[in-house]
Amino acid sequence: MNFPALNKQFYHLVAPDIPNDWEVEELLEPYIDQSDEVCQEVFKCIPAIWPISNSLCCDFLRIIPETLRILPLSQLSSWVGEILDRYELDGLRAAQRFMRDVESGYMNRSNAGMVLLGEVEGRLLTFIRGVAGRDLLIAPGNAVFTDTETIFLPPELAVFSASADNILLYKLILAFQWAYIANGTFTLPDPIAQEPMVDSESSLWLNTFFASFPQPLFARDCYFFLETVRAARFLEQALPGLMRAWAKLPCFILPGVEDKNISPQAAVLTDLQLRFLNGSLLKARQEDPLPVLRDYWRRLYGEGVSGIDTVAAVKAICAAHAPHEADGEEYEGITPLLFQGEIRLSAVEEVHRQRFLRQGGELVHSLALHLASLPKEQLEQLLRSEEEKENGTTGLESDVTMIMDSEFAGTAAEPQAPLLITINNEEVRLSEEVAEQVRQFHDEFGHLPGRFLSSAVGRAGEGLAPDAHPDPEQGEELQAPICYDEWDHRRKGFRKNWCVVTIKELPDLRSGFIRQTLGKYHGVVNRLRHQFEMMRTSDRFARRQRDGDDIDLDALVESLADGRAGLPSSDRLFIKLLRDERDIAVVFLVDMSNSTAGWVGNAIKESLVLMTEALEVLGDRYAIYGFSGMRRTRCELFRIKEFGEPYGERVRERIGAISPMEYTRMGPAIRHATSLLAKTDARVRLLITLTDGKPEDYDDYKGEYAIEDTRHALLEAKMAGVHPFCITIDHQAHDYMDHLYGPVNYIFVNDVRKLPLRMPEIYRVLTT
Amino acid sequence: MGGANIPLEEHRIVEKPYYLAQGSEVEIACAAYRNGLPLLLKGPTGCGKTRFMQYLAWKLDRPLITVSCHDDLSTSDLVGRYLIRAGEAVWMDGPLTLAVRAGAICYLDEVVEARKDTTVVIHPLADDRRELPIEKRGELLIAPPEFMLAVSYNPGYQSVLKDLKPSTRQRFVALSFNYPELEQEVDIVCQEGGLERNIALSLVKLAIMTRNLKDSGLPEGASTRLLIQAGKLIGDGVDIQTACRVAVVEPLSDDPEMLAAVEDMVGSLF
Repeated sequence: MNFPALNKQFYHLVAPDIPNDWEVEELLEPYIDQSDEVCQEVFKCIPAIWPISNSLCCDFLRIIPETLRILPLSQLSSWVGEILDRYELDGLRAAQRFMRDVESGYMNRSNAGMVLLGEVEGRLLTFIRGVAGRDLLIAPGNAVFTDTETIFLPPELAVFSASADNILLYKLILAFQWAYIANGTFTLPDPIAQEPMVDSESSLWLNTFFASFPQPLFARDCYFFLETVRAARFLEQALPGLMRAWAKLPCFILPGVEDKNISPQAAVLTDLQLRFLNGSLLKARQEDPLPVLRDYWRRLYGEGVSGIDTVAAVKAICAAHAPHEADGEEYEGITPLLFQGEIRLSAVEEVHRQRFLRQGGELVHSLALHLASLPKEQLEQLLRSEEEKENGTTGLESDVTMIMDSEFAGTAAEPQAPLLITINNEEVRLSEEVAEQVRQFHDEFGHLPGRFLSSAVGRAGEGLAPDAHPDPEQGEELQAPICYDEWDHRRKGFRKNWCVVTIKELPDLRSGFIRQTLGKYHGVVNRLRHQFEMMRTSDRFARRQRDGDDIDLDALVESLADGRAGLPSSDRLFIKLLRDERDIAVVFLVDMSNSTAGWVGNAIKESLVLMTEALEVLGDRYAIYGFSGMRRTRCELFRIKEFGEPYGERVRERIGAISPMEYTRMGPAIRHATSLLAKTDARVRLLITLTDGKPEDYDDYKGEYAIEDTRHALLEAKMAGVHPFCITIDHQAHDYMDHLYGPVNYIFVNDVRKLPLRMPEIYRVLTT
Repeated sequence: MGGANIPLEEHRIVEKPYYLAQGSEVEIACAAYRNGLPLLLKGPTGCGKTRFMQYLAWKLDRPLITVSCHDDLSTSDLVGRYLIRAGEAVWMDGPLTLAVRAGAICYLDEVVEARKDTTVVIHPLADDRRELPIEKRGELLIAPPEFMLAVSYNPGYQSVLKDLKPSTRQRFVALSFNYPELEQEVDIVCQEGGLERNIALSLVKLAIMTRNLKDSGLPEGASTRLLIQAGKLIGDGVDIQTACRVAVVEPLSDDPEMLAAVEDMVGSLF
């Protein structure tokens, strides 16, 4: 293509921006030699990238002539889509890096059966939660590890050429991490100490254990490796199918062992790893040089081993391979097996600490509740002794012991036996629920700190068990913002979590508006009520049915007479009670953009008043939300009436308080309303939008982009079983309305003054 | 006038149904029977409520009349109605009336599915009056001591709209059912599905995994009934993976992600 044509097209595409001449010239120069087809394809991408980041777009144009030698033209648009995803996820630098790295970053893995975590996350999460029976979480991370609550996985896997194998690898990683958690690999308590971990602040015993060796790193790796073997054995029993599938995997990547200059310790471990992977570890277990290990392997396949055995084995290995001066190479760690991941005790500690605090808080709460329900004398006694303790030797914790009820000791019912707690020699019998909680806590953390009981006694004494649940009323304004995707038609994909919707409450505003409106439309309201009352369906009898609750005497007489007269007699002789209930839920979305100022806004408010009056008679479920906002980060929904909220003075005041605000970003509002409707169980779900024009926002949410996003939001609503309808106040019908809602699903009202009368009418027609 | 009675003998359970007691529910139910108290069975679907009723009916040697409740069930469907036969209005007893007359056990399955105005007809039967007024005939039936009323419902998946009214609830002796303990459930699946113990064990493990998903998108986990059905398919020569897919995975959900995850569990177990 020649330069002037390219130049003209470029400026057209990026309008209304006007980039510098010399920059554009530099950007477009390489394209003069390219074929028309290439230029057209590349230029198609500009509208998708330019509005998001100008500099990214310039980089894109610079890099393309080079890139197209590797990247087939047909894959250009999907590549661009991914660049934009990176940009939105990690910013400009990440997007540029990804763009430059087309060969290994995009091409290689699109050929290999690469699996992205985002694509399979839902499936994996469900899988591991089902398998583990606890609410584990999955998150992408730069390494594989777990903090016992979240399992961190690589964001993508391309180890194998088949995607099914990569998914299997994901499952294998998850299973192993779960096995570590289930076996208590990270939380092994000190096997010698009588007193278990005393406080939440103290670190995991394993840290101390590793630190006691001259080469803590080696001890750690040994421990982790042996625990991995133990986990594998555990999984063979728990998930035999998965382990069989693993054995069948084409060829498992082994950590690189070519490097000859490794320390002797690393050589030992690498050798063990190799033997573990090819399965000879357990077959040739007799040949292991260390008797401890021989015993370990034997017991592993016999009666089983515990973490304490692993500790003993680690001690033996470390003793046998103690570092010598002559070794030369220092042990610097080995590459862990892929599914094994890393051992990160600090993360485990952090989670452990938080759990301890959280569960401790809950425990104190329920203990306090329980103690408060005790007989008064007992509680007073407890309080007294507690006080004595405090006044006496300071810093001494309450003396607490848990005792199983002796009647049950040694019987089968022992685990269910009621739990007794003695607090300063005072025996307290716990209710079943609290006892269960105490037992769980004890199982997990190994002890029950006395200060918990002290504070529980204290709280019970104050007579006010603290409220664990925050007041739901207060949460309203603080409701966490919700993110919704937005449709970008230029790249035919969603911008993930693009819009942030905050739900707000309109300020209460005492105004005479409602009273005035009701007075103004006095006659209309009465007529509307009457009309809507007629629509109210109630139980009714249907006569002449084939079966029913009672005999329809008229039909019977007729039928008998017919029979006598020799005519065929009818068999429709019964009365049936029909119950056709109106089962409708409707959300009204009110445009609160600044263009509604004046007449339009008033008309909308008036029509809402009439509408609610009519709906109250009819009994349909309805909610009213206003929407406005500015930019994607501040899409605001104003709650005027939610489902189930009674229509009263407050709702009326909020309708009166509707006032023009900012812009009209319609997509997120529709998406939120859809999610509200999807939660109702109504048979008919209606979404009625009241607006005065096109969707538009301050940023690039305009024109085609805005219309396409709104259209997509409406399509999503339809897919969720919601029927959208739009009432638009405008001087003339626009083509885009057809495109948005479909030809019959909108109505335009050109005379604002008629809206309050038209709206109930429209609703009536819609729902009958 | 007696109406065309459904032969009661058909409702009699002749062979001893297989039932493994989870606790003392059989003794409690028998005691309730002796004292004329109605029973309320709660529990997830497919955990053995209906089987328990069959077992109880067999043990007490009473006919068992089961009514599956639905939201169109009217009072006349339970009590009875007039029909026209050859120009005559003939009274036809409903299942409840039939059971009261014959001193049978009447079992209303999924009672919350019935409309609230229908459920109230059992009120006079379910307290110490033990009587059933038949308004259309102007008749008051007094229940014989052999008659027993039992209702069941599943507290798990019903919405708040479908809950029993306190006035209905507070007439019953309530027995709570749940999936059996692991060992017991393995026994049941072995016995009913005719399976080897290790396969039954894996099936039960699969069921427990799906039950773990109750808060992660599945309304309810795989029931013992599903496991037995899977077991029967396996016994008939269907291979284990397929049997699990058609009898356990697919009936649970339509959500592709959920299905894939449960399939993964099957693949991991077998």
